[in-house]
Amino acid sequence: MLKHFLSLDSLRKRALSKAEPGALHDYLSTPLTSKRTQCEELSIVSLDLETTGLDPTKDKILSFGLVEMQHMTIKLETARHQLISIEDEIPEASAVIHQITDDQAATGVPLDEALPELLQRLAGKVMLVHYSAIEQNFISAACQKLFGAPFVIPIIDTLVLARRIFEHRNHTIQTGDLRLFNLRPRYNLPNYKAHNALSDAVATAELFLAMASDMVPQPSQCQLRRFLTR
Amino acid sequence: MEIELVEIRDFLAKRPPFDALPEEQLNQLPKSLEIRYLRRGNLFPPGDATQGYIYILRSGAIELRDEEDNLVEKLGEGGIYTTDCQLIDFGRATHGLAAEDSLIYQLPCDLLKVLRKSEPAFDRHFAESIRDRLKQAVRTLKDNADESPIAQMTVEVSDLIKKSPITIDINCSIRQAAQLMSEKNVSSVMVMEQQKLAGIITDRDLRKRCIAAGISTDQLVSQIMTTNLETIQKNTMAIQALMTMTRLHVHHLPVLQGDTVVGMLTATDLARHQTTNSAFLASDIRKAATVEDLAIVSERLPDVQFQLANSNAAALHVGEAISCITDALTARLIEMAEAELGPPPVPYAWLCAGSQARHEQTSHSDQDNALLIADEMKPEHEAYFEALAKKVSDGLNACGYVYCPGNAMATNPKWRQTLRIWRKYFNTWINKPEPMALMLSSIFFDLRAVYGNMEMFDELRTDILNKTRGNGIFTAFMAANALQHRPPLGFFRTFVLIHGGAHDDTFDIKHRGIVPITDIARVFALDQGLTPVNTTERLEAAAETKVLSREMGENLVDAMEFIASIRIYHQAEQIRKGITPDNYLSPEELSDLERRHLKDAFRVIQEMQDAMENRYQGGRFL
Repeated sequence: MLKHFLSLDSLRKRALSKAEPGALHDYLSTPLTSKRTQCEELSIVSLDLETTGLDPTKDKILSFGLVEMQHMTIKLETARHQLISIEDEIPEASAVIHQITDDQAATGVPLDEALPELLQRLAGKVMLVHYSAIEQNFISAACQKLFGAPFVIPIIDTLVLARRIFEHRNHTIQTGDLRLFNLRPRYNLPNYKAHNALSDAVATAELFLAMASDMVPQPSQCQLRRFLTR
Repeated sequence: MEIELVEIRDFLAKRPPFDALPEEQLNQLPKSLEIRYLRRGNLFPPGDATQGYIYILRSGAIELRDEEDNLVEKLGEGGIYTTDCQLIDFGRATHGLAAEDSLIYQLPCDLLKVLRKSEPAFDRHFAESIRDRLKQAVRTLKDNADESPIAQMTVEVSDLIKKSPITIDINCSIRQAAQLMSEKNVSSVMVMEQQKLAGIITDRDLRKRCIAAGISTDQLVSQIMTTNLETIQKNTMAIQALMTMTRLHVHHLPVLQGDTVVGMLTATDLARHQTTNSAFLASDIRKAATVEDLAIVSERLPDVQFQLANSNAAALHVGEAISCITDALTARLIEMAEAELGPPPVPYAWLCAGSQARHEQTSHSDQDNALLIADEMKPEHEAYFEALAKKVSDGLNACGYVYCPGNAMATNPKWRQTLRIWRKYFNTWINKPEPMALMLSSIFFDLRAVYGNMEMFDELRTDILNKTRGNGIFTAFMAANALQHRPPLGFFRTFVLIHGGAHDDTFDIKHRGIVPITDIARVFALDQGLTPVNTTERLEAAAETKVLSREMGENLVDAMEFIASIRIYHQAEQIRKGITPDNYLSPEELSDLERRHLKDAFRVIQEMQDAMENRYQGGRFL
């Protein structure tokens, strides 16, 4: 597809021209973080979504959790967890994973209220996720639906970074190796029992710090593009 | 709060000092944290910190080193570094680095300050000195002591005597004594001659020596009183008094404070407070007719230790109680031997050495003993004492006090000698200190007479202390010897951290915790010519002299008590599981708090050893 050959910033401008006035338009008006930004100067938002399934056209966002990082330090005071109410029932199969029940979801806010806050938190920042397809596609689908334009953001995907590291070291990748909670012990990171959007966002942020210090022993000599996966 | 940070909250909640925070503050705390990751080999604390932080290690390992790059401390999961908040915690550490990839929580000093201000319990963690913490730790141990009967065995005699002493002048008549006893409703009266205790008269004396013997009640009390009295000091432990009474077949013991009479302890006083268990133990030792009987009694010793530990009796008292029972067993064995071999041809004293002499024994340690024989001994008497030593030593072995591997026993002809030879031994050890002498010194410089001619032993002891007092060269050797057993630095995960940065799975709490303190106390006692043998008493006495500050003395006493308590609990647990008690402690047995207090105790020892190294230039002679 053509858009893969366009720079992220051109994509942003194109989306901006299509977006209706509102939260997405505001978001897209903020310049994206340059890929030449020094790592220590980066503002990163580690994000995780819980959804009812994997298909952004059918499935729904149930919650998001995020935490910001500055100077390669996770700032827990920025931690945010938001449940999102949906009209349908939560499929049992997904409830088992994210453990959000219908009752809990009912305490959340509708997506059209939650999305503006999320976009505002992400404006001008880098999005850090583990397996970016979910976050990118679900937010983009929501943006299309609510504001008529796609969502554009520079992304660091720890799953992609992990695959690169494995391949670079000629390690064969076994099923499950690239899962967040299987990667963490490789970097001496503790096990977290809880599984929700915020704890996964924190877990992903920690994993990224560990990977970054592994990939770039001298943080002063590193730029965002070293980690950018989109 | 965002309940989703519950993992971090829970991590903090179980660790001091955060465990002292109230729920509400604890729930807020994660939001104030920042998380960093330090790759192995990176500097700690991170050089780019823009403000002061307290660091909490979530995973990984941090090594802290001093100016000379010696390892001072190694932090593992849950380790806390507060130095950057102007809290001196690792005084000697000048730099550090991540020994493993480490995930670190950081909390700004400003926030710490706010928390400390609002939460006194939390603040205490930072405010207290090692000294206060150790004191508190020891106090907590004792506060937990319940009112179980066995705990009562560790009370002091002064707690049991209620009445002020009933006394009568030596020039009074027997009738006057009887009248006084009736009036005061007591079964005995102490007879005084110019403020000094001259004897006692009991109901039994009135019955047997006066009425039955047909002596007039107009006669003076001195006619029928018992002289040559066994007395006890008021701080004697109840169990020891019980053992003494049982051994002497008496029901009354005058209680003194120094030379002053402060009361009378009766068997009834004791009976009210004793457990049947230990009372039985005492009388069973008494009644035992054969070594086999004694061995059966002795099997109960671990139970007694277990019960004492369970009742949270102070370690000091547990050691005293156990040593006291060992004394009674030994005395009974000697009586049996004498009954078989006949009375001794010349006076002698049976000496115990090491932990028994210090009153610090735990159940069934090795036997260390010796015989001190009057100088009149002739060569033909040798066989008697050889036979006596063998019987007693074999008996002790049968009772679970196994033979000393170093052969420091009365059965060894070398340690079965006359007063003259013993004097010569000590003379050599003191004037020509050598490694061999040093090895023996830790055994024979802790010496006490258990049975026999006590005066002869007092003579020897006075002689020894006169030779050691102020003897610079000897003291330097002893000090060097006292520096051989170093305490660990602390704990790291399931390991014990020792000097040089090596790890051990277990540590020998005896040789790395208790022995260093007993060694230190011995140096002071010999240098200052102090008579106590018990480590705590030696330290207390030394703290009255110029060689040891009162504060350091207290710290060492607390350190000793804490370490000894940990050891006793460790052994109690083994006894409960039916394992033979030992001294090898694994850090996994210890709670976070115990680890912390132990580390404090180790640091007290280390400080004292450092000071000793300077004072006596201890290192120079080894």
